[in-house]
Amino acid sequence: MLQYIAPASGLLFTLQNILWINIGVFIGAVFAAIPGLTVVLCVILFLPLTYSLSAIPGMMFLLGIYCAGGYGGSVSAILINTPGTPHAAATMLDGHPLSKAGRTKAALKIALYASTFGGVFSALALLFLGPQVAKLAAQLGTPEYFMVCVFGLTIIAGVSGKSIIRGVIAACLGLLISCIGSDPMTSYDRFTFGIRRLYLGLDVAVCLIGLFALVEIVSRAEQKPDALHMDARKMRDNGTITKEEYKRLVRPTLMGSLIGVMVGIIPGTGASEASWFSYSQAKNMSKHKEEFGNGSVEGIAAAESANNAVTGATLIPLLTLGIPGDGTVAIMLSALMINGLNPGLSLFTTQGDIMYAIMLGLILVNVFMFIQGKLLTPLFAKVVSIPQEILTPIIVIFCFAGAYSVNKNYFDVAVALVFCVLAWILRKLDMPAVPILLGLVLGKMTETNFRRALLISNGSPKIFVSSVYCWIFIGLIVLAVGTILRNQIKEKKAKAASVSKEE
Amino acid sequence: MMDKIYVRLDALGEKLKTKECRIPVNLAVGVVFFLFSAVILLTMPQQVAISEKDVVNGRAFPKLLMGVMMFCCVLLAAKDIYKLVKKQPIEWKTLNLLVEIKALVILGILLITYVLWRASGYFVLGAVFCALAFLIYFRCKKPSYYAITVGMAVGIWAVFRFLLNVRL
Repeated sequence: MLQYIAPASGLLFTLQNILWINIGVFIGAVFAAIPGLTVVLCVILFLPLTYSLSAIPGMMFLLGIYCAGGYGGSVSAILINTPGTPHAAATMLDGHPLSKAGRTKAALKIALYASTFGGVFSALALLFLGPQVAKLAAQLGTPEYFMVCVFGLTIIAGVSGKSIIRGVIAACLGLLISCIGSDPMTSYDRFTFGIRRLYLGLDVAVCLIGLFALVEIVSRAEQKPDALHMDARKMRDNGTITKEEYKRLVRPTLMGSLIGVMVGIIPGTGASEASWFSYSQAKNMSKHKEEFGNGSVEGIAAAESANNAVTGATLIPLLTLGIPGDGTVAIMLSALMINGLNPGLSLFTTQGDIMYAIMLGLILVNVFMFIQGKLLTPLFAKVVSIPQEILTPIIVIFCFAGAYSVNKNYFDVAVALVFCVLAWILRKLDMPAVPILLGLVLGKMTETNFRRALLISNGSPKIFVSSVYCWIFIGLIVLAVGTILRNQIKEKKAKAASVSKEE
Repeated sequence: MMDKIYVRLDALGEKLKTKECRIPVNLAVGVVFFLFSAVILLTMPQQVAISEKDVVNGRAFPKLLMGVMMFCCVLLAAKDIYKLVKKQPIEWKTLNLLVEIKALVILGILLITYVLWRASGYFVLGAVFCALAFLIYFRCKKPSYYAITVGMAVGIWAVFRFLLNVRL
């Protein structure tokens, strides 16, 4: 590891990288602060921009958005009792009451400190754990890699919607869409329906603009444009945190960071699960349980440290196995691949300097998030009240410009519109879109490993149960499906019980 | 004049608001995607060319996917049919006509924006239309919002055109 640190630092500490980190952090915090705009949406909108950048500045920009998104969501949660992003919901429970008690700046400060600590902790976990997991991943062959892909897809399909079966159908649809274009092994065209442009396949970024960004605009038909106005007087406290409060913050912050890392490593789980789990643990362990829900400093620290500690941890399965921890990093995988960086041990050996630069860069991202948070929080707070009437067309214009700029042709914009309609229909059928995203991103890898494995075995499917690792992954898939189904049955029973109670 | 249009639209909206249709989600997903996978399997010989020599050809993976999809669809549909026969509660999705029409209007704005841009060759034209159309859709009456949004639309074009060198 040490041999890569010096060259990686040289690659990382350039004016260009620092500029892109700061732009990413700023955009991420602003997007996440606005209720209704998510970090995934932000990463999708700006992904085409990274195509013109090399690997390090491109990834630094996206990581800046990803990490700052964790903190930005807490700004509106604290100020207007509306989480900017879903994972800031736990922060809202205590952040807003503390703000109402006249300590808005203090609440924002705690959120920033805890987020930064969680982010740096997670980045260090990535730096030390990543290469070790990659060594393990190097022992996997093609059948095992296929099983890894199936494992990742199963978990995402299971946790991202109400029904695991609908999730699997969505994942199959995503994988099928990834088959459009030339066959990766024979170069024959597939599912092009006579459209020449489809020979090159569909660009993931373009599909995602339709699937996640444009459809979000269409779904605004279900909402009323409500103005979220923030009272500027709220920010007039001096933001003092007492010594005793600082002492109380240590335990929940450390515990939240640890929980965030552990949750983040598991594909399919994300910042929301981590922040709620950490919040409930902090409440159970606190000496001041009565303060939770009424402006507890521990509650804010636990939730914020956990949701930012997920950021580095989700990159561990991504960089080592190619399995994205959540939807946002799934998009980052395509940014990596476009620069010829394919996940696995080779990434840590042949391109170790770039890899370590990215991992070290994650620490730097958190440092700049802290600096921007200190200096620009009042600005982020103002952004919260941007009216939807202005925001909506601007997002559409960005989507169109972004879709066009990927390959500089109109066809991609039309593809984005088609995917928007598809996503809208899928929403009507309660089908989750995240498994489609994962199917799109993992499609080539899954198919190539599936076919290579069958070629090795001369067409015999027994190869997928031929090694210990295959059995381990089959066991994990069964365990994951079992757990998901058990939880769904439990939820249904609890719902039925509450309905019968009400009656 | 706009106020009169809004009053008429509101009256129409009130009528449409009450019109709803319910669909059994699992059954609908099962039927729609079963048909979809059947179509894909039927068109595969024309759409995926293969060589006879290949042990594992380009159809193997899509066939596997469609097989899994069909199996899941049968499971979903069977689950709902069984519940319907046994008169057990099933999952319904309620579609409101007003909401769906509003969504179609938004889709229309997106489509016209694209067509305007494509036909004229000027992105900025489509962008300005998009900004104005959405402000009218949201019934915005503040002139400052119109100025800001149109300004931003032109600004985004300028950033892509001159800073990022994308000839929109």
